[in-house]
Amino acid sequence: MSTLASPGFWAFVGVVAGIFTIFALGLQLQFGFTGLLNFGQVAFMAIGAYTMAILVVTVEMPMWAAAPIAIAVAAAFGLLIGLPTLRLRADYLAIVTIAFGEIVRYIALNQHDLTGGPQGSVNIGSPETPASYNDDWLAFQGKVQDALSSVFGNVSKDTAMLAIVWTVAIVLIVVLQKLVKAPWGRVLRSIREDEDASSALGKNVFSYKLQSLAVGAALGAIAGLFFAFQFSVFSPADFDPLTTFFAYTIVILGGTAKMWAVPVGAIVFGVIFAGTRFFDFPPFSYFDSGERAYLRLIIIGLILIGLMAFRPQGIFGKREEMVLE
Amino acid sequence: MNANAERPILEVEGLVRHFGGVAAVAGATFDVREGSVTALIGPNGAGKTTLFNLISGFYRPERGTIRFAGEQIDGKRPHWIAHRGLVRTFQITKSLARMTVLENVMLAAPDQPGEQAWRVLATPGAVRSREREVRHRAHELLKLVRLDALADDYAGTLSGGQRKLLEFARALMSSPTMVMLDEPMAGVNPSLGLQLLEHMQTLRDDLGMTFLLIEHDMEVVMTVSERVIVMNDGRVIADGRPSEVRVDEQVIEAYLGAHTEQDGVEGRTA
Repeated sequence: MSTLASPGFWAFVGVVAGIFTIFALGLQLQFGFTGLLNFGQVAFMAIGAYTMAILVVTVEMPMWAAAPIAIAVAAAFGLLIGLPTLRLRADYLAIVTIAFGEIVRYIALNQHDLTGGPQGSVNIGSPETPASYNDDWLAFQGKVQDALSSVFGNVSKDTAMLAIVWTVAIVLIVVLQKLVKAPWGRVLRSIREDEDASSALGKNVFSYKLQSLAVGAALGAIAGLFFAFQFSVFSPADFDPLTTFFAYTIVILGGTAKMWAVPVGAIVFGVIFAGTRFFDFPPFSYFDSGERAYLRLIIIGLILIGLMAFRPQGIFGKREEMVLE
Repeated sequence: MNANAERPILEVEGLVRHFGGVAAVAGATFDVREGSVTALIGPNGAGKTTLFNLISGFYRPERGTIRFAGEQIDGKRPHWIAHRGLVRTFQITKSLARMTVLENVMLAAPDQPGEQAWRVLATPGAVRSREREVRHRAHELLKLVRLDALADDYAGTLSGGQRKLLEFARALMSSPTMVMLDEPMAGVNPSLGLQLLEHMQTLRDDLGMTFLLIEHDMEVVMTVSERVIVMNDGRVIADGRPSEVRVDEQVIEAYLGAHTEQDGVEGRTA
């Protein structure tokens, strides 16, 4: 119970929920608005994190230059994946993207010289000196912490991170909301509904799908950067396909085609996921910790099933949209 | 408009397209005159809808050329062709179900800078003012097809006939120079259908708009169109004024020989 009551723990949950919000915003744009089944969103998170870390450690680039490049590289990979596949039917895109995600992970796992291999980011430089890519970031985070402390008094490092991540998340949501409410978003939704109708009305469907994929990839990369900053080290194991499906859970839990549903979905999912981690009170305390770990996953599954049974459209989704064709 | 009356706006020559060994369109050649209402008729399976798909860029022709307003359009993509002012509707309607009726129509508006993401952020004023014009025009068109009361409903809740009307409004919203309508009257209440046909003629007279429509109702075909193109077995077998076409022996043969219209049997044996 003590952990569940500690503000530090919830600040951490909040940071992770914020990172997953940014990550899932990309999927919301691609899947919720454009109807693109991207099952490899985690690849763009990995590309973002790895590109930034490699540029800082091996090329000795300042983080503030490496981070935008990392985002651009991820967007470029989004285009690269889209060019050959977006003319195919939706389910083929799903197959290609899930394979792409695994290819990226396996490259990270096996290209030791470039990525540090299975040990991850600590090995990016030479094996003797553990690499650190986040000095610039920690300096920045420290400044934010000081600034916040001078206003609110004694703010923790995690709270500073919480403020930064959610500020970025909210700015991104506001911009994306503007875009999807504009005629640009109307074209995306028309593609989701029927791309032939859209192109018969003069819309360049292929171009819009590419844009959606690239912007979503960039969002994945931003999430990857924050992931790298928050945890200081990362490894290929952090980027398994499950991460993508967590983001789908967030999108569907919040409600599809609603930007503001994403942070709510992420917070609900984060609370369910993290909150069940410390069920050490009766009746859970009758089980040993190994059993509790499994019990926890069963409980998470039951909660998610329950939510979907009562609100299949998600928290903010519209039920009537589910029966239209 | 009369000066243009004889000039072809759409020129189709020797168009061929097979599906699994069957020639759906087997060398179709015809013109559509600018500012005309032209009907495309023929038994089921004659290749009319395939022809529409070829002209609008959804299928690529294996052979033959298509010119629209003097420009070669065969092999071009659908959005490119639509951009040039040649817009089509679909036999099986493609309403955007989880968008409102109004959004369906507004989508078709040309020259909306807000369809570019950077313009949304850089010039929001221009986007907004264009959007106001578009909304106003969309409401006008919805009034025309009597769907204005349903403007805020999901298009997915419309009936089959209403979806045809929505497609018609959507096509007009794109400010086309020529519209190809695939069975626009199917399922539409006849008195409203008649009004739409009259409106079509008004658009033709006032704006010089050209219409090519696939239609099975012979009464509609004979009253509304000044020219009729008849297809059978993927070829154009007759082309002329309604009064000429209805007495053409090949046309009578094609219709009576196969009993297709009422029976719904494929008009052609492969």
